[in-house]
Amino acid sequence: MISGVLLQVVLAGLAQGAVLGLVALGFSLIAGTARILPFAHGDIAVGAIFVGVLVAVGATPSAARLAGLPSVGLVLLSLAAGATLSGLVAAAVVLPNLAGPGGGGCRHSSLGWIAGGLAAGLLLRAVLGIFLPQQAYAVPDPLRIDLLAPGGLLRLPGGSTVAVRAVCVLTIGLAVGLLAEAVLARSRFGRSLRAVADDPVGAALCGVPARRVVFGAFLVAGLLAGLAGLLAAPGRALSVDDGAVLGLHAAAAALLGGIGSLRGALAGGLAVGTVQALAGYAFGSGCYDLAPLVLLVAVLAIRPPAGRAQALSPARTSSAARAPSTAGR
Amino acid sequence: MSTVGLAQSLWLLVAALGLALSVRYAGAPMLGQSAFVAAGGYGVALLGPGGVGLPLGIAVGLAVLVAAAGGYLTALATARLDAGYFALATWTLAFLAQRVPIAFPDVFGGTEGITRPAPAELVSRTLGIQLTLTDRINLGLAAGTCLLVLAALHRLSGGPAALDLAALRESPELAASLGIAVAARRRAVLTATAALGGVAGAGSTVLIGVISPADVSPLLSLELLVAVLLGGTLLGGLRLGGLRLGGLRLGGVAQWCGPVLGVAVLSVLPGGSLALPWPGALAGAPWRAVPVALVLVAVVAALARRSATDPPARPWPPSPLPAGRPVRHGVRLELTHASVSYAGVTALDDVSLTVHGGQVHAVIGPNGSGKSTLLDVLAGGLDAGTVRLGGLPLSAGSAPQRARAGVVRTPQQPIVLAGLSPVQQVALGVRGGASWPQAVLRQLAATPRSRLQTAQLRATATGVLTALGLSQLADLDPARLTTGERQLLQVARVVATGAPVLLFDEPAAGMTAAERGQLRRVLRGLAEDGAAVLIVEHDLRLVAAVADRITVLNAGRVLASGEAAAVRADPAVREALLGPA
Repeated sequence: MISGVLLQVVLAGLAQGAVLGLVALGFSLIAGTARILPFAHGDIAVGAIFVGVLVAVGATPSAARLAGLPSVGLVLLSLAAGATLSGLVAAAVVLPNLAGPGGGGCRHSSLGWIAGGLAAGLLLRAVLGIFLPQQAYAVPDPLRIDLLAPGGLLRLPGGSTVAVRAVCVLTIGLAVGLLAEAVLARSRFGRSLRAVADDPVGAALCGVPARRVVFGAFLVAGLLAGLAGLLAAPGRALSVDDGAVLGLHAAAAALLGGIGSLRGALAGGLAVGTVQALAGYAFGSGCYDLAPLVLLVAVLAIRPPAGRAQALSPARTSSAARAPSTAGR
Repeated sequence: MSTVGLAQSLWLLVAALGLALSVRYAGAPMLGQSAFVAAGGYGVALLGPGGVGLPLGIAVGLAVLVAAAGGYLTALATARLDAGYFALATWTLAFLAQRVPIAFPDVFGGTEGITRPAPAELVSRTLGIQLTLTDRINLGLAAGTCLLVLAALHRLSGGPAALDLAALRESPELAASLGIAVAARRRAVLTATAALGGVAGAGSTVLIGVISPADVSPLLSLELLVAVLLGGTLLGGLRLGGLRLGGLRLGGVAQWCGPVLGVAVLSVLPGGSLALPWPGALAGAPWRAVPVALVLVAVVAALARRSATDPPARPWPPSPLPAGRPVRHGVRLELTHASVSYAGVTALDDVSLTVHGGQVHAVIGPNGSGKSTLLDVLAGGLDAGTVRLGGLPLSAGSAPQRARAGVVRTPQQPIVLAGLSPVQQVALGVRGGASWPQAVLRQLAATPRSRLQTAQLRATATGVLTALGLSQLADLDPARLTTGERQLLQVARVVATGAPVLLFDEPAAGMTAAERGQLRRVLRGLAEDGAAVLIVEHDLRLVAAVADRITVLNAGRVLASGEAAAVRADPAVREALLGPA
C-alpha cells in the first residue's frame, strides 16, 4: 500500500506544481521581458483570491458550497483582481524604475524595483490583513471540483484512490499554461514581447511600444496568478502571508526551467511541486516549505542565470552556443 | 522608554549599519540581514550557557564568527549574480533562517524558540571577572558598539577604501578593468555586514534571553533595508533642498548617518520588528503592518523620482603636496598565435602582434575584423594564444589580474560613474590594485601614513588631470560632461593607473576636433614617457597623426603590420579599407 500513498503524494505534488507553474510562467514572462524580477508576484496570486473572496463571500469565508452567482463572481473577481493588482504594481513601482526609452531612472534602478516589488507585496499583505486578521482561512471552491467524483476521490484499477482535485488542478493548470504559451508564441502581442525581451531600445525604435508591452506582460502574468490562486486555495488553510513564500517557490520553478522559457517554467513548476511533496513526505511537514527554498539557493549558486535575460521564445537558442570558444596554440 | 526596548533598538541599529555597508557603500541589495542576526542569536543560545555551555564571551565570539562565515559563503555563492538575482538569493536566505528553526524543533526549539536565563552572567576565571549583564549594562554595551561602528564608518567614508566600494557600486566592470579585485572586495563587505548582523543577534539574545523565529522574520530584513534607504533618502532630500546642517557636509554623513535616522523613524512606527514597545492594544491591532509598508512605498517613490540615490562621497581635503606623475619604463607586450571564434564565426585567426614601449601602435580594420576581440585577449577578458609582457608569459587570468600586471584598457562604451567626481574617478585609477585590507586598517586607525596617502592620492589624481589638460573638470558633476569629455576622463582613469601598457578602445568616438587634438597630445606624451600604447581607432586621420606602427586586421587575420608609412602605402590595405580601386 506504500506505493498507493506515494502515488497520492506525487500526484498532490504535481497538482501543486501545476499551480506553481502558472505563477512561475508569469514570473518568467516578466523576468524575460522587462529584465526585472517581480518580487510581489506570489503575493498577487494569494491577494487575488482573497480580494475575490472578500467581495463575493465576505470577511468570514468558509469551505461551504457556494451558490451559482457567487461562484461565477468569485472566479471573475479573482482573475480581474490578479490582473489589476499586477497592473498596479507595474505602473506604481516597476515602470518608473525601469531604465530604457522613456524610463524614469536610469541609474540604480535595480534597487528601486527590488524595494518596490517588496513594498507592494508587503502593502498588499498588510491591507488584506486589516480585513482578514485570522491566521488562516478556508476558501470555498467556485469550480466545485470535489463534486466530480463521489467523496472527491477517484478509484484507480489497483484499488487505490487519488483525489479528484489533484487530477483536475493538474489538468487545468497544464492546459491553461500550454494554451498561454501557444497564444504568446503565435500572437502579435507575443511577437512584441519577444522583441522587447531581445532588445528594448531596438524594439522601441521599430515602433514597438516597449513600456506598454511590459505592462501587458504584467497583466497576463497577473491573470495567470489569479487563476493559480483560484486553483490552489480551496481544500487548505490559506493565510494572507502565504504569498511571499509562494513567490519564492515560483521563482525556483522559473529558474529551474530557465528564465524566459515559458514551457520551462511549467516543467519547473511540476518539478518543484514534486520535490516539495516528496520532501514533506520523507522529512516531515516542516521541510515541505523548505525544500523549494533550498532548491532556489542551490540553482542560483550552481547555475546562475545570465545577467542579461535570455530572449523570450518557445524555441530559444541555447545561451551556451553564443559563448566564445577560444583556442591557443 | 524602557531600557530593554532602547537596548534592543540599538542592537538592531548595529545590524542596520552593517547592512548600510553592503547596500549604500557597495550597492549590493542585501535582503538577508535577518538570517545573520539569526545566526548570531541562535549561535549564542546554542553554544553559550544553557546550551553547549561555553562561557558567554566565547559563545558570542563564535556566534559572530558563524555569522561572518555565512556572509562569506553567501558572497561566494552569489558572486556571479546580478543585483536582482542577488536580492532574490538573499531574500530566500531570510526565509530559510526563519523556516529552518521551525522545521528542526529538536535543535532550535521550533516556533517557541530557545529561552536562556536573563540577565546573563559574564564569567572569566582567567581575568577574574564575574559580571551580571543587567539591562543597563547591556544598553551600555549596545551603545558602545553603535558608537564604535559609527566611528569606523565615518573614518572609512572619506578615504580610498570607500572609493573602491563606490567603484564597485557604480560599475563592477570598470572597477575590474582598473585592477580592483571586485570579487574579493565584495566578499569582504558582505562578511563585515554579516558579522555586524551576528553581533546584533547575539547582543539582543543575551539581552532578552529568548531567540525565536518570530524575532528573525524576513520582515526584519526588509525593515532594516527600509531603515538604510529611508535615512539616506531623508538626508539626500535635505541635501537636494540645499540645506546644510551646521556646516556638516551631508554627502558623506548621509552614508553612515542615514541608518541612524532610519532606525529612529522605524522605532516610533508601531507594528514593526524595530518598533519600541507600544502601550496597550496597539501591538495587536490588525493594521499594525501598514505603517511600515507605507514607509517602504514612500521610500521607493522617492528612489524612483531621484535619478541619483547616492550623494557623492565627501570631498577630500585640499592637498599640500605637489602633483606627481606615474613613472614608466620601456616595455614590450607580445601576443602570439591567438585564435577566437564565436559560435562558428571566426573573430581572430592566428593573430600575433607586438606593442613596443615608447610607441603608439594603432589597430585598424573594418567593423567585425576582430579589433575588440583582440583587446579583450590582451586585457585578460578572453583567454587565447600566449600573451607576454617584457618576455615573461602572463598567466591566463581575469581583467583585474592583468591590470595589476600592468596591462589596462578603456571600455568601448564610456562608463559614467555618476556618483564620483572626475578627480575621484581618476583617483580610482591611481589606486588600481593597491592592497585594501591594509588601507582599511590604517584608515580605521587614522595613522599619519593613511592621511598622507589620502592626500597623495588626491595630489596624484589632480596631477594626472592637469597633465592631460583636464584640470577644469576636476570637481564637475560627471553626468554633465560631454561625450568627448567622458572619453578623455576614461583615458585619464587608465593613464592614472601608471600601467606600462595602455590599451584604448576607440577613444576618439564622439570627440570634437579640439578634443581629438588633446587626445593626440596625450597619446604622444604617454609614448614619450616610455609607455606601450595600443589604440583601436576608426578615425584614420588621428591614426595617421599619432601612430608609429599600424596593424590592419581584416576578417580576423592580420592583413598588414609594420611602420605606419609602409602600411599606409600598402595597396592591399587600401583595398580592404576603401574597396577595390
